[in-house]
Order: sequence, then C-alpha cells, then structure tokens
Amino acid sequence: MSEKTLNQKMEDLNRQVEWFYSDDFKLEDAISKYEETTKLANDIEKDLNELKNKIEILKEKFDK
Amino acid sequence: MDNKFTPTEFISVVNQTLDYAYGNVLIEGEVSSFKINQGKWVFFDLKDEESSVSCFMTLYQMRMPLEDGMKVVVRGTPKVTKWGKFSFTVQTVTPVGEGSLKKAYELLKKKLTEEGLFAPEKKRRLPEDLTKIGVISSTQAAGYADFIKIINARWGGLDVQVAHTQVQGLDAPDQMIRALKYFNERSEAQLIVMIRGGGSADDLACFNDEALVRAIAASKIPVATGIGHEIDESLADLAADIRASTPSNLAEMITPDKKTMISTVQEMVVKVGKVVSQKIDEQITRNQDEIDRITREIKLKIDKVLSDILQKQKILDALNPEATLKRGYSIVSGKISPGNVVKITTFDKIIKAKVEEVDERKNS
Repeated sequence: MSEKTLNQKMEDLNRQVEWFYSDDFKLEDAISKYEETTKLANDIEKDLNELKNKIEILKEKFDK
Repeated sequence: MDNKFTPTEFISVVNQTLDYAYGNVLIEGEVSSFKINQGKWVFFDLKDEESSVSCFMTLYQMRMPLEDGMKVVVRGTPKVTKWGKFSFTVQTVTPVGEGSLKKAYELLKKKLTEEGLFAPEKKRRLPEDLTKIGVISSTQAAGYADFIKIINARWGGLDVQVAHTQVQGLDAPDQMIRALKYFNERSEAQLIVMIRGGGSADDLACFNDEALVRAIAASKIPVATGIGHEIDESLADLAADIRASTPSNLAEMITPDKKTMISTVQEMVVKVGKVVSQKIDEQITRNQDEIDRITREIKLKIDKVLSDILQKQKILDALNPEATLKRGYSIVSGKISPGNVVKITTFDKIIKAKVEEVDERKNS
C-alpha cells in the first residue's frame, strides 16, 4: 500500500481525535488509541518538517 | 546624372531611409486632437511647446484609453504617406507621469467595470489542496525572492513553475499575457500568481494594460496577484480572483504555516491526553462512589442484624432464671409439705431445708 498523503494523515488524525470525544469512547481502549494518535501526530510533524517545495524556472521564453 | 524618382519611388525610398534610421523610436509628448475613425483607426497629435507629430495607430493596438492632454510615450516608426504627409505609425502607447497614468487608469477602470470584468461574483476561491502553482514574475525582482522565501518557510510539497517575464516597461504586458497563455494551455497549475515588488506609478503601469487585464479575467485557471505595496491598486488586481497587498502577503495567503500546523497537531494530542486523564478520574470517582454506597448498605445490614441480636439477647436475659436469682429470689424444689426436705436455690447458694408448716396464700 502506498504511503498516505499529508492530507490523508490529517484526516486520520482528526478521526482518531473525534473518537475520544464521542460516545464510542471506552476507557479500556483509550490507552492504545492514545498511543496510535501520538504516533500519527509525530508522523505528521516529521512529514511537515521534511516537505520541500520544487521550484522550476521554465526554459520557455516569453519575450517573443 | 542625378537620380530621378517618381513620387511613389521617392516616398518609398524616404520610408526605407526613415525605417532604417528610426525603425523603432520612442517619442514622449502630450496628446492632442485625439479621435477614432470608423471604430478602428486612431489619430492624434503628439506635441510639446514648439512642435507636433501626427500619429496613427489601430484601435486594437491602443492598450489604454487616451484623451487630449495626456502625456504619453509612443513607440513606432516614422512614415510618409502616399499623399506626402509625414506621420508616425504607433505600435505601443503608454501614459507617463502621475496625472496621465491616473487618468488612463480611471478611464479603463470605468470601462471594464461597466463590462463586468471586476464583478465579485466572478471571483473564484483558492483551490483546495493546492500543490501546483504557476508564477509569473521576474526572477530578478525582490518581490519574487520574498515570495519564494516565504512559501519555502511556511509550507512544502508545492510544485512551482516560474515563467520569467519583465514586470515593468512596454514589453511587460505582452510577456505576461504569453505566460498566462502558457500556464492555461500547457501546464497543470491550479493557481497562477503574478508578483512584483513595489515601484513607481510608471513601473507598475504595465499592470493596467487593457489586454493583460482582459487576459487575467479570461484565465481558466484562477489568478492571484501580489503587486507593489499595500497602497498600490492595479487593474490586474481588480481582475484577479485573489488579491494580496504584496508578494509576501500573497505567499502567506496561499500557503498554510507548517509551524502553526505542527503546534495545532501537538495541541490536539495534549488535549486528547487530558480527555483520557479526565475520563480516568471520572471513572475513579464513580468507582469510589459505588464502593461507598455498597459499604453503607453492608453496614446498614450489619447494624440491623446486630440490633436484632441485641433485642433477642435482652429477651433471653429477661427470661434467664439466674437474673431472677440475682435480684434476690430463690427457687424451691421438692414436695412442699410439712416434714419434707426441700432444695432452695439462691443466686449463690443451694440450701436443703425442712418444711415446718404450709399455709395457703391468698393472692391480692
């Protein structure tokens, strides 16, 4: 499976965080869910710090 | 023998000479006797204090509205017409000086506003999930450097293609129009940004070029502008879908800030941790309350049992003969008749006694 994009990871994070505020919350699952959320957040932070822009100056001439 | 020309030949030779000597000349002067014939031919005189030059151009070439009294620079070629009249064929005309620029700006703004080019309902929003950007700017401009620096500091993962064009001067509008055409026809850009740092009114005049403004309004891809300083307003800005006050401001508008995003993500995790901690505390409180309730119930039951036992104990105590003996009574056992020996039990003694006499007792 290909690596998820930053946006997909952010969507996952939001979904995971929502669980803690929802009626589905179960204390017995909370620790493992919290560990998953922390890991995903660290992953996103790493992605954000590593992302670089690609700047390309076009060879095309626009003076004629 | 001297050369001899027909009038046509002579005019042709003169025009060749003029074209050779002044094929691409600039003249600055004041417009007078401006008129448009048949909706397509433009005639005006360009004058200073002493002289005047007749000018001709097509309406298509006139990229800004002109009026008598405006100061302009024209680029073109001098020519003698077949009627022997000297004329200057204009290729481009640009207003110069604050007054003329302002006048041209206001006239064109009015015209294009009436056409609906700047209508708010035509504005498109910044594309979601923006990853591909086409930039139109001079790569030597300070505004371009600011823009790139800020987008690199704020965000990553962008695919930025840069069309290097002039961003001031007579050739700038056509170059920027070609760049707009390039991005619309040959790129996957989701947004085109046009940027240029601050400059004088003359420097920024190219962003009020009618053809450029129309090209921006007609672009299939949304266009964002960051031109000049906060106080500058160009017609390109008005035609654009998104307008920023400066190149730096535009960079901030179109990119999220990864530092803010990292803080937000970290805050989300911290808040979730607090939620878990709070729910654990709530559960502990609930458990404690339940323990307290059960303890109270057990205690009540024990108390009730103890009370029952105590009550029964009292009854038993009351029925115990020992208690009667303790109060001083005694138990006489044996046949109660004179001469018989009976056993008398007191609290602390057992006595054998002989019955001497027995009388009936009347109960009161």
